[in-house]
Amino acid sequence: MPKMKNPFEAFHQTSSRKREIPLDKILKSKEETLSKVLKGYEDLLKNEAKDLVWLMQYSTVIKAYSIAEKGIEGIEYTAEDIEEFCYALDRTDQIPYLITGPAGVYISTLCNYAKEEEIALHLRDLNVKINLLGYRLPPNKKLIVEGNVGDFTGIGLDGGELIIEGSGKNYTGAGMKRGKIIVRHNLGFNTGHGMTGGEIIAGGRIKGLGKIVGGKIFEREHPIFPNEGVKPFYF
Amino acid sequence: MKNGYYQERIRDIYGYISDNLYLNRPDIDIKGERFNSTLLFCLLTGLNGGKELIIGEPGLGKTTSAEYAGSILYRYPLGVIWGSEVSGHPEQTEEKIIGRPDLGELNKGKEEVVWTNFAQIPVKIVDEINRLPETKQSMILNGVDRGNWEYLNEILINDEYSLFATANYQDRGTNTIIAPLIDRFDILVESRHPGPNIAFTIGKETRLNHPLRHPQYEKDLYQILRGNKPYDEKMAMAEEICDLVGEHMKETLGVKGLNKGERSEIKEEMVDIDFDLDANAFVRTLLAELSFCHKYGQKRSVEVCEEGCHYTGYLCHHIKNCASNRLPTSIRNYSQALAWFLEDDEIDIEHVRLVIPYTLAHRIQWKDSYLSRKEGEGRNDPFQIYLAKEATEEIFQRYNEQREYLLEALSIGWRAFAGEEITPLDGDHPIYEEIKKDIGAKDEKSF
Repeated sequence: MPKMKNPFEAFHQTSSRKREIPLDKILKSKEETLSKVLKGYEDLLKNEAKDLVWLMQYSTVIKAYSIAEKGIEGIEYTAEDIEEFCYALDRTDQIPYLITGPAGVYISTLCNYAKEEEIALHLRDLNVKINLLGYRLPPNKKLIVEGNVGDFTGIGLDGGELIIEGSGKNYTGAGMKRGKIIVRHNLGFNTGHGMTGGEIIAGGRIKGLGKIVGGKIFEREHPIFPNEGVKPFYF
Repeated sequence: MKNGYYQERIRDIYGYISDNLYLNRPDIDIKGERFNSTLLFCLLTGLNGGKELIIGEPGLGKTTSAEYAGSILYRYPLGVIWGSEVSGHPEQTEEKIIGRPDLGELNKGKEEVVWTNFAQIPVKIVDEINRLPETKQSMILNGVDRGNWEYLNEILINDEYSLFATANYQDRGTNTIIAPLIDRFDILVESRHPGPNIAFTIGKETRLNHPLRHPQYEKDLYQILRGNKPYDEKMAMAEEICDLVGEHMKETLGVKGLNKGERSEIKEEMVDIDFDLDANAFVRTLLAELSFCHKYGQKRSVEVCEEGCHYTGYLCHHIKNCASNRLPTSIRNYSQALAWFLEDDEIDIEHVRLVIPYTLAHRIQWKDSYLSRKEGEGRNDPFQIYLAKEATEEIFQRYNEQREYLLEALSIGWRAFAGEEITPLDGDHPIYEEIKKDIGAKDEKSF
C-alpha cells in the first residue's frame, strides 16, 4: 500500500534543523553549558514570573536584565550555545514554560556578554517569535538574527548593530539611544517610540511610527523620520 | 523585485478606484488598517484568479466595482469588459455565453466555433447570475470552475482568469443559485450603500469620457477577439494592446495595471506564503465543526442529526450540509492574497478570521431552527455574512480556550501517524475525534 503523506506535518514540534556538527563537538561539555544556561533562565523565571504572567513594563525589563546578568555569571558559552538555548525554549521537554518576555531579556543578556563581537542566531525554524531581542546591545557588538522576531526588538539599543533577516513586530527600537537596527522585511506599529538616537532601517513596510525624539528611520531606502510629515516629539 | 513594490501598486489602484470610481465606506479592519470589503476582495480576486459573488441592492455598484478592478488590474479598457459581460436572464443561451458555430463556415460544411469574448478574456463578469434559470446555470459550471469552455467538439481553456458574478436579493425575477454553482464561488461579499453623505457626491463630477475607456484600443481588441487565429496567439496579441492600454492608464490616471508576467510573479509570491501554526490549527478546527457528525460519520444534507447529541453546542448541529473541499482552498488562496497584500510573511490568525466569513457565507446551509433563532438579532451585514462572522468568532473562541491542548493533540497526531505507539488526546471538540480517525485509533462505525 502506498504511504500516505502525514496530514499533521506542520505540527511536528521537534526541530527539523539538520546541521552538520562534527561528532567531537557533541560532547558532554556542550550539554553542561546548555544546562547551566537553562538554570540561569529558570532562576530568572522563578524570580520574575512566579504566576506565569509577565507584565511588559520598562522597570520590569530593567529588573529582569539585572537578574539575568547574575544568572549567567561565570558561564563559559559561545554564540552557538545561545542558539541552542533558543531551540531548547521551543522544546517543552527541556523547559517547563516559555514566556517570551523574560526569554528575550535573557537571550539579550547572553548576547551582550558573549565573547564574540559578532553573533549570528539562526532562528528561522523557531516556532515562537521571541520578544525583546537585542535589548541594550552595546557598542562594538553585532547581532544577526535569521528569522522573524517579536515585539520590542532592539529597545534601549546602546550602540550595537542589530540585523534582522526577517520581519519585526511592534515597538522595534523603542527607547534606543545609539546604534543601528536593520530589518530586511517589515516592521509593526510604534516603531522607534521614544528613541533618542541611532538608526532604524527597514527594507519593507513600517506599519506605524511611535513618538520619536531623535535618530533616523528609513523605510525602503526613503527617510521617513525626520521629515516634513513627522516632527520630533518632546516628552 | 524590491520589497513591497507590487503591493504599493495595488494600493495605488485601490486608492484610485476608491477615490474616483467606486465611492465607498470602509467596513473591515485588519491590522490597524481599514478597507472596503467589496473593493478589497475584488482586487484580491483579480490577483489570485478567484471567483467572487457580489450581492446587494440594485444600483449599489456590484457590477461596477468588479468592472473597475478587472479593467485596471488586467489593463483591458472598460468597453471590452462591458462587451464581454454575460447578463443573467431567462432567455440566455449557450451561444451567447460560450460560443456559436461560424455560420459562414457551416454553410461550406465546416464546423468551426466562434468563441464569445466572455469565454476568451481573463476578466469574466456575469451580471445578475441568479436571473439565470437553474437549468441554464449548469451551462457555466465547468467554465466557472476550471476555465474550460466547450462547444460542439471544441474546447477553449483559459490559462488565467478571474470571475465576478453579481446577484440581487430575491425578487419575482430571481432563481436560486444551484448548490454546485454556489460552491464554486470562493467568496461572497456585499456591495453596500456608502451612506448619504458620500452618495450625495456621486456623479458630481460628470465626465464626457470614462477614464477607463479607450475607443481605439477597444476596437483593436475586438478585432483580435473576433479573429480566427488560435486562442494562444490571440491572447498574445491582446496582451500587446493591453500594454498600450497600461501605458495610457499610467499617463492619464497615474496607476499602473499589471501585465501577464507581473500577475504570475505575484501569484508565485502568494503561493509561497504559508499558514503559521495558529492559523493552521484554527482552520482545521473550523473544518472539523463544518464536516463532523457524531451520529452519521460526516455531515450530509440528507441526514438530520437530532437534539441530544453530545455535540449539540457545536456548529455541526446547526448546519445541514457538509463543507466542501473547495472551502479550504478558498480560505488558503484568499488568506495568502490578503497576507501578501499586507506584506506579511505568514498567514496568521487575523488573516483567516477576516477571510473565513466571506468564504463561508454562501456555502453553509443553516437549519431552519437556527435561522429563526438568529433572524431578529441586530446587525450591519446581510444575514448570510452576519451568520458566517458569528460562526467564525464562535469557533475562534473555542479554539482560544483549548489552543495549547489542541496543538499538543495535533502534534501527537503527527507522531502517531508516523508510526509511534502513542495514545491520542481526548477532548471536547470534533477535531479530536477527527484526529483519532486519521491515525486509525477510532474505527469507523460498521454497518
